Amino acid sequence: MAAGTAPRRADASGAARLPDTARRRIATERLASVAIRAGGLAVILAITGIFAFLVVEILPVLLPARVALAHDAALAGVVPRALLLDEYRTHDAALGRDGVVRVVRLEDGAVRAEQALADDFVAVAGDAEHSVLAGVARDGRIAAAPVAFTASFEEQRRVVTPSIGAPIELALFDDAAAAPAVAGPLAVRAGGDAQAGAAALAGGGVALVQRRSERNAFTGETTESLERRVLATPAPVTALALDPKQEQLYAGTADGRLLRFDLRAGVAEPESVDAGGAAISALSLLIGGRTLVVGQADGALSSWFTVPQENGPARLTRTRDYPSYPGAVRAIAPSQRDRAFLVAADDGTLGFQYSTSGRTLWRGDSPLGPATALALAPKGDGGAIAAEGRLASLDVRASHPELSLGSLFGKVWYEGAPRPEYVWQSSSGDDAFEPKLSLVPLVVGTLKGTFYALLLAVPLGVLGAMYTSQFMHARLQRWVKPGVEIMAALPSVVLGFLAALWLAPRVERLFSAFLAMGVAIPVAAIAGGWLWSRLPKRWVARVPDGTEVLWIGVAIAAAMALCVSLSAPLERALFGGSFPAWLETSTGLPFDQRNAVVVGIAMGFAVIPIIFAISEDAFSNVPADLSAGSLALGANRWQTVVRVVLPTASPGIFSAIMVGFGRAVGETMIVLMATGNTPILDWSPFNGFRTLSANIAVEIPEAPHGGTLYRTLFLAALLLFAMTFAVNTAAELVRHRLRRRYGRL
Amino acid sequence: MTAPALPLIEKPAMRVIDLKLWYGSSLALDSISLDLPERRITAFIGPSGCGKSTLLRCLNRMNDLVDGVRTEGSVLFGGRSIFDPEVDVNALRKRIGMVFQKSNPFPKTVYENVAYGPRIHGVRAKGELDGIVERGLRAAALWDEVKDRLHESALQLSGGQQQRLCIARALAVEPEVLLLDEPCSALDPVATAKIEELLLELREHYTIAIVTHNMQQAARVSDYTAFLYLGRLIEFGETRELFVKPREQQTQDYITGRFG
Ligand SMILES: Nc1ncnc2c1ncn2[C@@H]1O[C@H](COP(=O)(O)OP(=O)(O)OP(=O)(O)O)[C@@H](O)[C@H]1O
Ligand SMILES: [Mg+2]
Repeated sequence: MAAGTAPRRADASGAARLPDTARRRIATERLASVAIRAGGLAVILAITGIFAFLVVEILPVLLPARVALAHDAALAGVVPRALLLDEYRTHDAALGRDGVVRVVRLEDGAVRAEQALADDFVAVAGDAEHSVLAGVARDGRIAAAPVAFTASFEEQRRVVTPSIGAPIELALFDDAAAAPAVAGPLAVRAGGDAQAGAAALAGGGVALVQRRSERNAFTGETTESLERRVLATPAPVTALALDPKQEQLYAGTADGRLLRFDLRAGVAEPESVDAGGAAISALSLLIGGRTLVVGQADGALSSWFTVPQENGPARLTRTRDYPSYPGAVRAIAPSQRDRAFLVAADDGTLGFQYSTSGRTLWRGDSPLGPATALALAPKGDGGAIAAEGRLASLDVRASHPELSLGSLFGKVWYEGAPRPEYVWQSSSGDDAFEPKLSLVPLVVGTLKGTFYALLLAVPLGVLGAMYTSQFMHARLQRWVKPGVEIMAALPSVVLGFLAALWLAPRVERLFSAFLAMGVAIPVAAIAGGWLWSRLPKRWVARVPDGTEVLWIGVAIAAAMALCVSLSAPLERALFGGSFPAWLETSTGLPFDQRNAVVVGIAMGFAVIPIIFAISEDAFSNVPADLSAGSLALGANRWQTVVRVVLPTASPGIFSAIMVGFGRAVGETMIVLMATGNTPILDWSPFNGFRTLSANIAVEIPEAPHGGTLYRTLFLAALLLFAMTFAVNTAAELVRHRLRRRYGRL
Repeated sequence: MTAPALPLIEKPAMRVIDLKLWYGSSLALDSISLDLPERRITAFIGPSGCGKSTLLRCLNRMNDLVDGVRTEGSVLFGGRSIFDPEVDVNALRKRIGMVFQKSNPFPKTVYENVAYGPRIHGVRAKGELDGIVERGLRAAALWDEVKDRLHESALQLSGGQQQRLCIARALAVEPEVLLLDEPCSALDPVATAKIEELLLELREHYTIAIVTHNMQQAARVSDYTAFLYLGRLIEFGETRELFVKPREQQTQDYITGRFG
């Protein structure tokens, strides 16, 4: 027992009396392990933090859209057929065939303003853009009432006061008494200096009236013109729409045809397209007046616009189909902000759609059953719906409806484009502009820049590292390695600047020389090496091994000088004097001065030092006794390097390339300055491009916080992050495999 | 200075004549002259840093790889100086194989390690390579241990097996001379015994030079022994003679361990 405890006690006291140095060593070790763990954790946290931040910024894109009842008011005995809603969604203005405009406060159903326009209308319509409600009487007289909502503040509360202005009168026919019977539907545009109305006639055809007042800027005189037309239609018209410029009149017929009358042309012959069977039951133009949304009696809903044709005039084309509604589409209310629109069908279904992305944002039951009229608030954040004897306002919310997987990554048929395509064009001066947010050209641009940069950097970096570490004389090595490191220290702004302002014009001017260099440099290097090997051994022996590169360098420099001096005659001989012109005429490819070749060279220059440094390490870390073992077997230097050193260094070289790839993918400054930033989708080395990173840099200062563009840019950032992450993960896996295969255990 | 230190009866495979070697400005080998008799084992012994490895590396010009090495004198092989600039170093090294102190198998399979040399020298045919690999491994007494794992990584072999693999690899190019630099320094007695046994067998066909720190080993396996000290060849002669009655006091001191 005593024998058992004694040593233990000795141990314990021994531990207590550890020498100072040992205690210090233990403390240092603990400190180091804590510091290392903290550092590692901080890195992981930082990366997760960045990832989380990006995701949080993007997440609102996924919020579902919502359409919900806000207020509900009774309007006994009235069937409102046209609606308007004020900016603050406090009042609904409604017009039915009884000819009375009523403005109802939604909170309590109080009628705040009321004005009779006529005794009886055969059809009514609204013009949300100009806040006008209008109706047409059987004799062709149109009366339009402008409804104004003025907001004022009383005791910190906003009070909206509606008022109905003096009606605008327009007559479809000169002589109301002799006019043919008007049946409806009606379409009205009632701007300040141009008004137009169109209505279908009971006996077929459409009657149209247009009034324009033009003010002469010099004399201050206004001249008014009035034009009336009757347009023949092949079938009874069931829906009408006028574009905001009052240049196009669209009519839908009972036999499912769409007619487009070009009012400028003065020709009455419309373009007629078959929309497929069922009668057109609703027509509406989206913001900008180019996309026509067509609803049909069988519930079909589609988007149309005029598409330029290669030969002949532009044609009205069905460009998008939405999921069908269970009942006939009765009303379509476009947003005045974007390409969203509300749709009501006869069976009481209500839908919220978006044109560019083709998304069905929301679909559900109308709170009032089958709707007779529909409107969207000016800000697009609310809606109004009417049914027999009832009115309601809706809360409408859609977060970034223009974004969908399809609109970000697929081809989209944008308004006016000849075919679906990938386009990035996020903004323009025009409010009615359709944002084109395809990330595909940017991803392709990123890969293109990376490809051309790596095309230059990988061979130069890896082979340069191989030569430097395996063949070069130690004294030269001492110069080369720091030299390349200085190259890495060059700020990319400087590289981009040089590329854009110095290199790009020279590449353009001396293109043939650059082309010839691609051949001449390798030839000169090989010829120089061959000549060297042919020199008598006694001479060669005087020069230290591994300095022959100087001689080859001279050969390369001579070849480059020769190329430059021969550039002009070459260009004349090969390309008739100018390469850009030759390219344009013989292949149809445009030549941008700031193109992928320039970026490849500049970005290659930025990537080479990274690839060089890491691969040089990889080569140098191959144990010398391995190459000694190979040399001792009679292998020459080259065989040794290729068969033993290279495979052993391959995991390191692989990571070098991947780190270089990561650098090239994320590189911003050089591409920003040297590419021209044109987001075009093509692989030609003579074009510019725009990368994800440059795009973020260019657009984020202009992107309103929280807006769609802002979120899309964050999505681009996440994509960039994911790309590098995926590549690095894949690379790491490959590297591990290589390591297991070639590594020394 | 001329002539070898000792007139040998046997026919020399290599002759070192008045060899001086400098690493930069420091003289590492000072006027060494000795013969490596054909199909005999010659051991180089001497205290650490005396130049044994340097001398061995001179014999197949591995010193060329070291920066700032300068040699004077000559090493004759097949009647010609190996330092002649016209000599093809790679062909020379094929004829004079080398095994290093620290085993250095390539990070390839066992098979590929042995086949490496023949491939380098132009053997392509699979059947021929198979034969060379088997003969090499058998000659290195490794065949039975690895014949079922020819296509596994050589790095999974034990230290002793790796060293024998390196010997097999060197034998596979069919050299005439085999240089071994402390081949057993990292091995246990059993593996050492195996290699020694192997050396005695190889002596039938190869001229062998071996560097060793182990006096018993030198005594056991070698026919001739050279004792170097501070870059100079102190004594060179038949092993039995050198160990039993050395001519020089320094040799006596070294082999009896009374060296200070
Ligand atoms: N690459 C080198 N560069 C400079 N000096 C060297 C180099 N290799 C060896 N030397 C020097 O040459 C001398 C002989 O070295 P060598 O390696 O031949 O000794 P050795 O007898 O093999 O010793 P050991 O028994 O420890 O292996 C030593 O003084 C050593 O410092
Ligand atoms: Mg040694």
